[in-house]
Amino acid sequence: MLSLSSFVQKAQQLLDPTQGLSISSDPDRNPSKASLFQSQFRLPSSQHPLYEITAELTIPPANATQGDRDRDRGFQYAGKLHLSESFLCFSTTPSSFLQSATTATSSIFTGQTHGGGPNGNGFTFPLCAIRRVERLHSANFQFALAITTWNGVSQEAAKDKDKKELREQRITLQLAGSRQACERFCDGLKRGLRANVGNVAKLKRVIAECYSEYLLRPDDQKNAVPPDAGLGMLFKYPGDPKKLRDRAKMRLWAEYLRDNGRNATLLRQPTFHKLIRVGLPNRLRGEIWELTSGSIYLRLENPTLYADTLAEFQGKESLAIDEIEKDLNRSLPEYPGFQSDEGIGRLRRVLTAYSWVNADVGYCQAMNIVVAALLIYMSETQAFFLLSALCDRLVPGYYSTTMYGTLLDQKVFEALVERTMPILWEHLVRSDVQLSVVSLPWFLSLYINSMPLVFAFRVLDVFFVEGPKVLFQVGLAILRINGEELLDAADDGAFISVLKSYFARLDESAHPASENPKLRAVTKFQELMVVAFKEFSGITHGTITELRLKNKDAVLNNIESFAKRTAIRNLGPDSKLLSSDELGALYDRFYGVLYERQQRDQLLKQQEQARRAKASRSRIAEAASEGHGVEKGRVGLGPSTSLMDYDAFREFLAAMCKWAISDSPAAPRRDPVAEQRGYGSTRRAEPLSPWGSGPEPADHEFLQRLFRNWDTDAASTLTLQKVVSGMARIKGKRDIMGSINYFFELYDDDGDGKVDREGILRMSEALLFLSRRGLEGASSSSPALALGPDGVVGPGDVPGQPVSERFLGSVSAFIRRCFEYADPDHPRNQPDGSVQDVGSKLQATRLDEDPAGEELANPDAFAIGDDDDDDDDDDDLLAMDSPPGSPKAAAARPSSHPPPALPANDNNPTARRSVSKAQSEKANIALDPANPLHITLPTFRMVVLADELLEHFFETAFPASFHVIEGLASAASASPAGASSLTTFTSLGLGGAARAISGAAAPSPAAPAAACAACWTTS
Amino acid sequence: MADSAPKPSSSVKLVLLGEAAVGKSSLVLRFVSNDFQENKEPTIGAAFLTQKCNLPTRTIKFEIWDTAGQERFASLAPMYYRNAQAALVVYDLTKPTSLIKAKHWVAELQRQASPGIVIALVGNKLDLTNDGAAGGGAAGAGACDDDDAAAAAGEDAAGDARKITTEEAKEYADEEGLLFFETSAKTGYNVTEVFTAIANAIPETSLKTNRGPGAAHGARHEQPGIDLGRQDDGASRDNCAC
Repeated sequence: MLSLSSFVQKAQQLLDPTQGLSISSDPDRNPSKASLFQSQFRLPSSQHPLYEITAELTIPPANATQGDRDRDRGFQYAGKLHLSESFLCFSTTPSSFLQSATTATSSIFTGQTHGGGPNGNGFTFPLCAIRRVERLHSANFQFALAITTWNGVSQEAAKDKDKKELREQRITLQLAGSRQACERFCDGLKRGLRANVGNVAKLKRVIAECYSEYLLRPDDQKNAVPPDAGLGMLFKYPGDPKKLRDRAKMRLWAEYLRDNGRNATLLRQPTFHKLIRVGLPNRLRGEIWELTSGSIYLRLENPTLYADTLAEFQGKESLAIDEIEKDLNRSLPEYPGFQSDEGIGRLRRVLTAYSWVNADVGYCQAMNIVVAALLIYMSETQAFFLLSALCDRLVPGYYSTTMYGTLLDQKVFEALVERTMPILWEHLVRSDVQLSVVSLPWFLSLYINSMPLVFAFRVLDVFFVEGPKVLFQVGLAILRINGEELLDAADDGAFISVLKSYFARLDESAHPASENPKLRAVTKFQELMVVAFKEFSGITHGTITELRLKNKDAVLNNIESFAKRTAIRNLGPDSKLLSSDELGALYDRFYGVLYERQQRDQLLKQQEQARRAKASRSRIAEAASEGHGVEKGRVGLGPSTSLMDYDAFREFLAAMCKWAISDSPAAPRRDPVAEQRGYGSTRRAEPLSPWGSGPEPADHEFLQRLFRNWDTDAASTLTLQKVVSGMARIKGKRDIMGSINYFFELYDDDGDGKVDREGILRMSEALLFLSRRGLEGASSSSPALALGPDGVVGPGDVPGQPVSERFLGSVSAFIRRCFEYADPDHPRNQPDGSVQDVGSKLQATRLDEDPAGEELANPDAFAIGDDDDDDDDDDDLLAMDSPPGSPKAAAARPSSHPPPALPANDNNPTARRSVSKAQSEKANIALDPANPLHITLPTFRMVVLADELLEHFFETAFPASFHVIEGLASAASASPAGASSLTTFTSLGLGGAARAISGAAAPSPAAPAAACAACWTTS
Repeated sequence: MADSAPKPSSSVKLVLLGEAAVGKSSLVLRFVSNDFQENKEPTIGAAFLTQKCNLPTRTIKFEIWDTAGQERFASLAPMYYRNAQAALVVYDLTKPTSLIKAKHWVAELQRQASPGIVIALVGNKLDLTNDGAAGGGAAGAGACDDDDAAAAAGEDAAGDARKITTEEAKEYADEEGLLFFETSAKTGYNVTEVFTAIANAIPETSLKTNRGPGAAHGARHEQPGIDLGRQDDGASRDNCAC
């Protein structure tokens, strides 16, 4: 089986290399090319790498005249040019993926970017920012493009005289590649440009919020109102601008932007990264953050999202909003802007809007601090998108409801400390200091409330351009610089106070005693930056990714075991009826099913996409099909759902109850180990069964009743609490009366203590349904059962079979007795005669009589279940032999399903005949619809207790049939699929019974009777 | 009050747990600096503070971990209660759900924390009840911690907002073998008593090993720098949010 599937997988890969591999349930281990591309250029997830080509970028020197292509005087960069749906990107940093790689695989990315950040030198142009592309004819190059941008588009409206002052931004790209490749790239570019022409207006609106447009405004707009560059414009920016040399920095930036384009048309040259490292000037800080983090592209994609969200949810309430309100007054309270209604209002709106857009995250403490910091330098809209970029990409999982990202990065940080500072690490271990107690807030609030604000912002400047590794580099540098003192600190308290005082002195000289005045002028913060980025330059994005991967499972397991402990403890008093092992197993099964189902859903969707892509042979679709495979549903990753619907409930039961497995054969079982693990992460390329690796669950009226009974508030979904309460009623009190009462209650729809004729039939159906794979707990411990009065059970027999066989008789008797002792709704005749007598008399009659078999004596009397269900079920039965038309039948083929199907089918007419026989029979006795009747709980109890097998069923077998702890895996692996017990019937020559019982798998009034009858006729 | 040399001194790790907005940080602030601070930033992870408690025969230095109240921070809690010798599980007398949450924490501690951990159940915000009204209070002492400003504001301070009777909580505490107090961080009522009772309840034996089971080494030095008297001002607060 396994080798076959792997062969299929291989073959698929040979046929289409993009297939198979793209369907991976673990996106971390095998990140898609699209996701690497998106994170390299900080693009929205709508973008995919469509074309790429090696190229050389030539930027004309600042003072070059237009069209001058003097190579000696320009700047040249070799790198790679990428085209996505709406972006043209160039980077000198080696791509995080190989050119030759398929769209689905990636090479190992070292993450070493030499301070340039993952997008290195080059540019990231939205296609709508490109004004003109010309193909240059040159003897030197095969292919060269001149690109003219809309740089300064906002000034286009200005007078012609300004236009002259504004130098057109024009760069040259020489493509290196086969002629064909170049042509293909150019065609793609042409198409992209055409498709994006309509976005120019949007672009104008978006960049109008950028301060650089104001900074570089033409002379005649000197009095224009500057765009919102944060609360700092109203309440002053933190720090002394003189000390920060803000004016000088601003001048340098103005010069850089003038030469290299601004915002959407900015060219990244080494100076850009250098200017960031020395700290951004206040008014440009927000814009550069937006640009380097890529949040400006999110804003460009949907400029009105922020305003729309606020409008849409205005006045609505949520838990997140309550939590936000509590923290509004406590977010950077030392900054004057946040002592004002203006600042608080902005903070409230941004946090609220985000909590609506990303309800899974909602609001997490520390977000208030981060957003407050952002708002000092940028507008609300900008902060909103930057928060999105943070939560989704830069620090994923930090603020999720389980905070797994935070915990994971702490593990990564500890691993890095151990690796880079073994002596300190050993000291920490020896003195039992838990590092994350100190470092967790650094990461969670991005150093913002650990260091004085001015320094925290310097860290952020670099963080946004170079990514999360910066947080680690700075953290390591802090420990390295304070290493000596920390080695003397022997407990958490001392450890914390060393660092606290260090942070308080960041602006002091790092070498106060030095002779060298230059050295003396170096502040502790500068020293920190140098240590962080020089000494720890080896800590790259690759390092972090690798360590995150290594620690992820352990962290998630920790979170999950904590969540499990908590959840189980929080279960109501009902849970006390179950053992802690049972509760634990229920918890695992509950979330296991939910997780599996979501994963499967995801995979099915991906397969579907892949199929479609293959069909259309379109590159775009193919790229789109790649998993942005986010793992969903795992408890440790936060809640995607904690509600179980009916289908999940069926699957949940099928994993522990034999009777809950469908008789129509399931997809072949695979890898029972993975199934048992619950959180299986097996990779599958073959078509998935909708039920995954487990057996296909049955769908029986009884299951629906059980679901409704457990679903106490009729929400159509079960919570863990409801499942536990429901299970507690079945398995909790192990007394027969409770069990009987419970069963009765299941069928007492209106709760009036009466079950009518229909209910009685349905009860008997359910009894057959539940017992069709044998009774459980019917072990040798009960000798009375092993040796029935008729001596059917020989000592050598497998105990289960004859008992279940006899159980059919018991159910048959059950029906009769129920009707016999039923109370008429209009009290008239009282039943008389002994139960046993009537019972045997009835059996006798039925066996002897042979009325006209084909006629359904009184079909109306059985107007119970709907006929459709009945038919469906017949279809299922027939499908076993019918040509593969239904998926089920197809699935059945490869399995080693025994051939009982044939005789079963042959016997079917017999069974049917028996049905009608039984029906007519009973119609005579008690099924006159004109005489409505019902049984009460005492009657039901009496009828049950009158039969030792039924008694046994309710006392032991039914509760025992829920294998909560051990599950079915072990039992099923011994005899694969649920079919085994059915073959037992056939081997007994009871094929008809077996088929009829499977007929009972759907609400079918005839089935129970049929089963009984078939049983009696054949034995 | 100052450290008289002969008295044996040992440190005790104490962790505060409880639902958001029950007044954990207020209790600590009251105990550590007999003060409160308005608009204090929310506790990210946990705040660390120390305070000494002088007993007749010995001095106990509390190392207090004041944890964040927001629900999602709960999964970080094991990091903080690890090796704790004492725990203060706080609930809000006026909020029934907070006692349920407190019970969960007690169960969590009993199962997961160091064996022999001393747990005190503390019902806070007594000032909002009739019992607490007599206690009077420092002017404007809206000792807000973690989030209780809004919750407290909703209650009519003049009326009796008590939702959890003393008997109910006391009975539970006795069942589980917990110390039990009702306090008001706002007025300061019973706050010191809680910590003193915990100090008294810490068994000598666990003090010798200094850190309870799980501690790799007993060799811990007193940090002379953090050695401050009770009623001192904020200097004693080592309110770390780093």
